[in-house]
Amino acid sequence: MRVAETSLRSIVITWLGLLALTLTSSLIGLLNLGSMNIVIAVVIASVQAFLILGFLMHALYGQALVRVVIVGGIIWFLILMTLTSTDYLTRGWLLPSGK
Amino acid sequence: MATHTLPGATTENYLNSEDGILSWLLTTDHKRIALLYTFSITALFFLGGTFALLMRLQLLTPDGALVDLETYNKLFTMHGIIMVWFFLIPSIPNTIGNFVLPMALGAKDLAFPKLNLLSWYIFMLGAAVALYSIFRGGVDTGWTFYTPLSTGYAMGYVVMAAIGVFISGFSSILTGINFIVTIHRMRVPGLTWFRMPIFCWSMYASSLIFVLATPVLAITLVLVSLERIFHIGVFDPAYGGDPLLFQHLFWFYSHPAVYIMVLPAMAVVSEIIPTFSRKPLFGYKAVAYSSMAIAIVGFLVWGHHMFVAGMSVYAAMAFSFLSYMVAIPSAIKVFNWTATMYKGSIELSTPMLYAIGFVGLFTIGGMSGLFLAAIGIDVHVTDTYFVIAHFHYIMVGGSVMAFLGGMHFWWPKISGKMYPEFLGKLSAITVFLGFNLTFFPQFILGYFGMNRRYGSYAPEFQDLNVLSTAGATILGVGYILPLVYLIWSWKYGEPAPDNPWRTTGLEWKTPSPPPKHNFEVTPVVAWKAYDFEAQREELHLG
Amino acid sequence: MAEQSLALREQFATPEQQRESATLGMWIFIVTEAMLFGATFAAFAGYHHWYPAAFNRGSSEMELTMGAVNTAVLICSSFTMSLAEYFAARGKPRFVWFLVLTALIGMLFLGIKFTEYYMHYKDHKLPGFGFQDSSPQSRQVQLFFFLYFVMTGLHSVHLLIGIVLVLLMLIPALIYIDENYSTPIHNISLYWHFVDVIWVFLYAIFYLPGAHLK
Repeated sequence: MRVAETSLRSIVITWLGLLALTLTSSLIGLLNLGSMNIVIAVVIASVQAFLILGFLMHALYGQALVRVVIVGGIIWFLILMTLTSTDYLTRGWLLPSGK
Repeated sequence: MATHTLPGATTENYLNSEDGILSWLLTTDHKRIALLYTFSITALFFLGGTFALLMRLQLLTPDGALVDLETYNKLFTMHGIIMVWFFLIPSIPNTIGNFVLPMALGAKDLAFPKLNLLSWYIFMLGAAVALYSIFRGGVDTGWTFYTPLSTGYAMGYVVMAAIGVFISGFSSILTGINFIVTIHRMRVPGLTWFRMPIFCWSMYASSLIFVLATPVLAITLVLVSLERIFHIGVFDPAYGGDPLLFQHLFWFYSHPAVYIMVLPAMAVVSEIIPTFSRKPLFGYKAVAYSSMAIAIVGFLVWGHHMFVAGMSVYAAMAFSFLSYMVAIPSAIKVFNWTATMYKGSIELSTPMLYAIGFVGLFTIGGMSGLFLAAIGIDVHVTDTYFVIAHFHYIMVGGSVMAFLGGMHFWWPKISGKMYPEFLGKLSAITVFLGFNLTFFPQFILGYFGMNRRYGSYAPEFQDLNVLSTAGATILGVGYILPLVYLIWSWKYGEPAPDNPWRTTGLEWKTPSPPPKHNFEVTPVVAWKAYDFEAQREELHLG
Repeated sequence: MAEQSLALREQFATPEQQRESATLGMWIFIVTEAMLFGATFAAFAGYHHWYPAAFNRGSSEMELTMGAVNTAVLICSSFTMSLAEYFAARGKPRFVWFLVLTALIGMLFLGIKFTEYYMHYKDHKLPGFGFQDSSPQSRQVQLFFFLYFVMTGLHSVHLLIGIVLVLLMLIPALIYIDENYSTPIHNISLYWHFVDVIWVFLYAIFYLPGAHLK
């Protein structure tokens, strides 16, 4: 194929899937699941993001390098999150000497 | 294959192909854009250097007699802002990188020539805004904009300076995108990744940092500006905010930024040393992989700027360990440059003097960084002149010297003229001596406890400060000399042949200066990088 | 029919190289945008970890229905944008209508968003402008709202830029975009979808965590 293309069928199914996932996450949001609420919300959003990136943005169909770029971006965001959180998660811990 | 022109023949080239100021201001030719950038960053370098000179004059005496202390705060802030964002970051990538990268790949231009011109205009806009903040009265927060000083208490034009830096960041981002796409998609047939000169690998690694780190700085400066304007923000402890969050976000960019400053310098040195050792670069793959490793691991170490800031000690330990790791690929490169010179046919030309100087001074600077990576030592020497000496050894002894070396190395290609070799060597030696006299005493001053960012100091530090200032004036002379003779040579220099250094690299297969579209016929590459043997006859190596 | 000069710029050897380069460049730009927003998400994550009660309280003040509707609106705009791209690549002139529809739906999103902002302002939930909250962690709730306005505001700015670009795109769309050259539509589509991706995460972290607390 000349250009990374998604079929009309895939576009429609993705659209409907995204709407369904929005409804799902909204309904789940009405349940009290404690600290899991935000986790589930972000997980569903990640699935939606995967659909948008993969189908509507053709990441699953185009140049392999594009997929490398996307994965690289995700990793770099995670580096920022993770290493910063080593500070935020351990800020209140005792020093090794016990003080 | 290549067209050989006799030196002195006035053929059509990128300089004379079009006339008039608009043909420069609206050019999309990467070579002309490189010259636009060269003009801009040179002017900004001397402005930043002037601030440095004023600082060194202030520090001649312990009681800070030249300027008042608030003005001194503004001097070191503006020196830092200009030198970091408006000289070091754009210097090699946007001047030598813009000029050489497409040619080294055999391409006619970068992937996005119009975006390249836009980069320059955005850079100039950012510089104009930052300069305006200086002329309105300056900023005194230090180039690091730490909160809550910057968001709540600093007098001065913080938001304006932040906007200037914010704008210039987009120039970096567009350059990074341009370089990455060019290297991926515009290499000529036969030029595989592992046949590319190391210059290209290092430019690629630098460009990764441009695109991944700069956006974080951009949003951080926006957050600082919002907090300063609206008196409420994410760094404000009164609302549960954490001033350290600013430092995390700021250094997430600013540490990789120093690798933006040094990787292109290493790129230049990796071209100069094989040329003037008449030997292929030793350990090509190791150097290529090390370039990538420096860029990647460089993103994992930012917390070493925050050891004493109140960060969790466990996070500090993680960052300390990672900081030791990042030194390894740099060391690999130093070993490989040295091994390249071993049993080579050394010519101590001007570029080679700068390159060898780079290797020595970068090594000293890098090793002093290892001291700082140890939390126990850092607690004592952080915020002293030890740190200042450390980073100036790398950024001035390293990057600036590599920039000068690269300008001399590619000068014949860029201008079509040779610079005067004696003056070149004299300047290189002057810079080397002046630099060491300026900054070596600062290691000692820092070790004995002289604080950085102070406009006055304890009297026992005066002798070393006087030496440092003396060195700074010598260094200044060393910088002014090339400015003068390079400009002189543009008009009066001896015409340059296609390949004055008889070295490898596709850019040397074009006339000096090159035609507008670089190559009459698209080259096809069938040899490794630095393959002096394969091109022995063509390069008249005898 | 596209002019030959547009089909191939002089620095490229083939149209495919040009197309791939443009797409690759656009994706790298999108990664820079991801890092731009990413820093704000990192800030949110840190503070959510420190102040879960305050952040849930702030989230409960959001209008879930408006957020959900807006999410659906933006998803529909991505749908119309994908259709615009699909038909442009096949040279079908109707793609222009889908571009217009995309811009209009985007404007609908902004209309709902700014209505929400105004409602927050009226409820004294705009930090720095008469913010009021009756809980003991009112200051941290204000931090939540500061992040809400900054992050959704940044998103709205990006959406507005997208709308302007789509409208500006109508000019080349009517003149020279066809099955041989539809790269600008392809690239604006990537940008538009990315803005949608950011929104689904914003919806997840601001509207949903406290929705059960109303």
